[in-house]
Amino acid sequence: MAVELKTIQHLCELSKLNYDEAGLEKVMGEMGDIIDLMDTIKSFDLTYDDTKDNNSISLNEVREDVAQPSFPTEKLLANAENTDNCYVVPKVVE
Amino acid sequence: MDITRAKIRDLRKALDSKEISAAELCGEYFKKIEACDGKVQSYITVTKDKAMEMAANAQKRIDAGESAPLTGIPLAIKDNICTDGIKTTCASKMLENFIPPYNATVIEKLNAEGYVLLGKTSMDEFAMGGSTQTSAFAKTKNPYDLERVPGGSSGGSAAAVSASFAPAALGSDTGGSIRQPASFCGVTGIKPTYGRVSRYGLVAFASSLDQIGPIASDARDCAIMLNAICAHDPHDATSSRQPVPDFTEKLGQSVSGMKIAMPKEFYSDDIDDDVKASVMAAAKTLESQGAKLVECSIPGLKYAIPAYYLIACAEAASNLSRFDGIKYGFRGEGRTFEELIRDSRSNGFGEEVKRRILLGNYALSSGYYDAYYKKALALKQEIIKEYNDVFDIADVILTPTAPTPAYKIGAQDNDPVKMYLADICTVTVNIASLPGISTTCGYTADGLPIGMSVIGRRFDEQTILQCADAFEQTFAPSAPKL
Amino acid sequence: MSSYFPTIGLETHAELSTNSKVFCTCSAEFGGTPNSRCCPVCSGLPGTLPVLNRKAVEYIIKAGYVMNCDISRFTKWDRKNYFYPDLPKAYQISQMPRPVCLSGNVKINVGGKEKDIRINRIHLEEDAGKLVHDEVNRISLADYNRCGVPLIEIVTEPDFHSAEEVVAYLEKIMLLLQYAGICDCKMEQGSIRCDVNISIAPKGSNELGTRTELKNLNSLKAIAKAIEVEIERQEELLDNGEKVIQQTRRFNEALGETTAMRSKEDAHDYRYFPDPDIPPIIFTEEELEEIRNSIPELPEQRVARYVEQYGIKKPDADLIVSDKKICDFFDVAIQEYDNPKAVANYITGELLRRKNLGEVDMDDLKFTGKEFAQLVELLQTDKVSQSNAKAILGEMIENGGTPKSIADAKDLWIKEDSDLLAKTVDEIIANNPKAAEQYRNGDQKVFGFFMGQANKALKGQASPKAIQEYIKKKLSE
Repeated sequence: MAVELKTIQHLCELSKLNYDEAGLEKVMGEMGDIIDLMDTIKSFDLTYDDTKDNNSISLNEVREDVAQPSFPTEKLLANAENTDNCYVVPKVVE
Repeated sequence: MDITRAKIRDLRKALDSKEISAAELCGEYFKKIEACDGKVQSYITVTKDKAMEMAANAQKRIDAGESAPLTGIPLAIKDNICTDGIKTTCASKMLENFIPPYNATVIEKLNAEGYVLLGKTSMDEFAMGGSTQTSAFAKTKNPYDLERVPGGSSGGSAAAVSASFAPAALGSDTGGSIRQPASFCGVTGIKPTYGRVSRYGLVAFASSLDQIGPIASDARDCAIMLNAICAHDPHDATSSRQPVPDFTEKLGQSVSGMKIAMPKEFYSDDIDDDVKASVMAAAKTLESQGAKLVECSIPGLKYAIPAYYLIACAEAASNLSRFDGIKYGFRGEGRTFEELIRDSRSNGFGEEVKRRILLGNYALSSGYYDAYYKKALALKQEIIKEYNDVFDIADVILTPTAPTPAYKIGAQDNDPVKMYLADICTVTVNIASLPGISTTCGYTADGLPIGMSVIGRRFDEQTILQCADAFEQTFAPSAPKL
Repeated sequence: MSSYFPTIGLETHAELSTNSKVFCTCSAEFGGTPNSRCCPVCSGLPGTLPVLNRKAVEYIIKAGYVMNCDISRFTKWDRKNYFYPDLPKAYQISQMPRPVCLSGNVKINVGGKEKDIRINRIHLEEDAGKLVHDEVNRISLADYNRCGVPLIEIVTEPDFHSAEEVVAYLEKIMLLLQYAGICDCKMEQGSIRCDVNISIAPKGSNELGTRTELKNLNSLKAIAKAIEVEIERQEELLDNGEKVIQQTRRFNEALGETTAMRSKEDAHDYRYFPDPDIPPIIFTEEELEEIRNSIPELPEQRVARYVEQYGIKKPDADLIVSDKKICDFFDVAIQEYDNPKAVANYITGELLRRKNLGEVDMDDLKFTGKEFAQLVELLQTDKVSQSNAKAILGEMIENGGTPKSIADAKDLWIKEDSDLLAKTVDEIIANNPKAAEQYRNGDQKVFGFFMGQANKALKGQASPKAIQEYIKKKLSE
């Protein structure tokens, strides 16, 4: 069962993805099938209890507050378009 | 003897006895790669110069009599593991020219032993897939049949080991991505317990499921690799403080008395007959060594695929949000921030990656979170409980690694759902954070490898290595004919 | 008289003064050239992982205690997902269903009336980076130095009904956070920031109106002004029969008005989910007890101690307590010289005065509370005169040193030359027969004139007490 157009458009907004018309058609069908598969969990009845995951730690296992030297700026910016030691971003339109 | 087919432990002896130098050894692999990888396409990047440099350093240690187990050993590394100064692409256009400024912790550990890097292997884009055919750069073929997939997502690593382009490799496993390609390519691969190996430097797919692990020609070599890479890491808060044993310790010990569970849901009609037959035969072999076969059930398996995909894709959608072309990666066009990031992402990511991001955001979005993501977390708790119940009556669990052997390239295109369902044998092991090893237990009539998985309790890699090894000692694998 | 009743709630972010950032080991210090306090983790590089900072957790627990919150025994971190150029991972690690602190309260005092402000929650999260806008080229430059600095977000219930209450609350919590030692609360540096949620409703109505959120408020003055103009704006809308739109508004201080930023209608779907990279924490009672006990005496308790035990007047006590450095300084001083009233007076009279004039920087004192106390003692025991004491203090501020060594070096001791005293006072009385006559006839006020003259003439050669006694004696003859 294909997904509604407005659902896909909303997901594209959350995911920051564009599709052309043909791509949109295709992905609506694919996502429909995928979501149908995901829907099979609806018949499972239990609820999640986040205190029962057994993956918690105690405060003394948490990292001590010691500052270490940072990375050289050029190394961090090497993979980016940059100027004046900053990443360059087009303006956000409010 | 073709030295490229040797095991790590034999290479160690050869290097230490000066039978061969580190430079000569990696040279042999490069010869083979140059001759044959054009057909197989297991590597995205071959690092010849770097390897020679590393081999020279390794040789110094060998000459000084200070070898560690992996000194001078050439290895292939999956291309989602960050290597400082060396392109790390995740087989994606998004990271086509990305050069990490730091090493993954596992790479630091291998460096400390003086390994030699042969190159970065191909994979499904961002580790999302089971065929390696979504790779933007090298669609790896199965060395046993070049018209078939090597499995995925660590298909490049598995194929490289299978074709002797490396004695061993590192892969990563989120839902079976080490085990399934190992089984398709006729080699051995182990996904350690979640938390055994640091994830720092592994480009994240699903943070609660990802683990790095070795692919090698047998369990014994896998154990040697595990010894080098397992440790608590202060850079990874999810890495375990559980003491790390010598993983080779129980190898060779008898499996007499070992209780091997075979959950019935893993032997359903969805599994190919020859796969089932092969795994059953292996079970019988272990039984003849004194192991006891136990029946059991993991009913939660029927929800395994949606539980896995909902958790994995939700985490992935979030993990991949950082890829916008601004800090690194493919930078598209746009006059505004919004336009730019949408363009970068739409052009940088492949179709499967995009589908999983959409699914992940669907599962997390307002109004859907409880029904999908939260429900999947409840399922996870249930699956963990079911496995714990089985381990009350058994020491290890034996299952097929995949429902089928390697399928033809193109057979599962246009059918993402079919692809997802094929993960049924592997995903619950990640969900339950258990260790699992896949080894070859037979071949089809066409000579395609069939893999079986041995699953253990958390942190009990020793026992599953012992079990897999016990079988391997009785089984003569046949190499691909390239 | 307004026919509307405003209701206000606050979200305050305070930067914690830890050494390292909350999820990586970069320095959390303010400033630095762009991207010089960064690493792969806080820059959001692929493959990196957050590692929580223990001190940040201890600090938020302290914040919880000083605001009377319940500390959650089980706490965890969640991802808040949205895209913005100052957010390298495109998600902020924050806390949603299980924050460290819940249900607290802060007492404020407005115009003599006490009121309880309820705290809904306090949670620990990471700060985002900074963007510098280049309007000409239509680009922004992103600096991630601030990414990952630990923040606590303090959310109140909508318990405020005036700008005065808001300001009183902010002054109070800034004091509390300073006393807890967890934040330097420098609004001008942005180490504490406040967003205001405000709505109005007709008086007597049981329902709340539509609220707007005010951002970009950089000082207490701006906050008070912004609240005032926003209330006015909303009242005008409602008076005209229009509706208030739920939105975020930016305060423009120069123009004294708020303007719409983005509609809260299309608010982000943050898709909160537990961050799988960060294990939840379970606190033990012992750990919490230890942290609680390490919090120094809080402002209220100190004021009580000063007033009840030392007899200091409440306004003076409040004044001393309003600056933690001064207050700690006072506590050290009275260890040295057990005369709290005199020490307090000299602090409020001299030290605070000079601090307000900018002559003294409490962050960069060249002398200790002990030395200050010694000076007060010398003054109280008439070893130095008022004016010489001021001179000594001035020297201590400039160059440090002990009062005794400075008095020695500059010869500032009261000499107690009784012959000189007698001679000088006799001369003054002789030269002012009319004034002497006035005093003998009962005019007490004239005494001050003689004191002043004598002090001037004697310039620290006799103690005020001796002068006083002699003049009295002489004039009564």
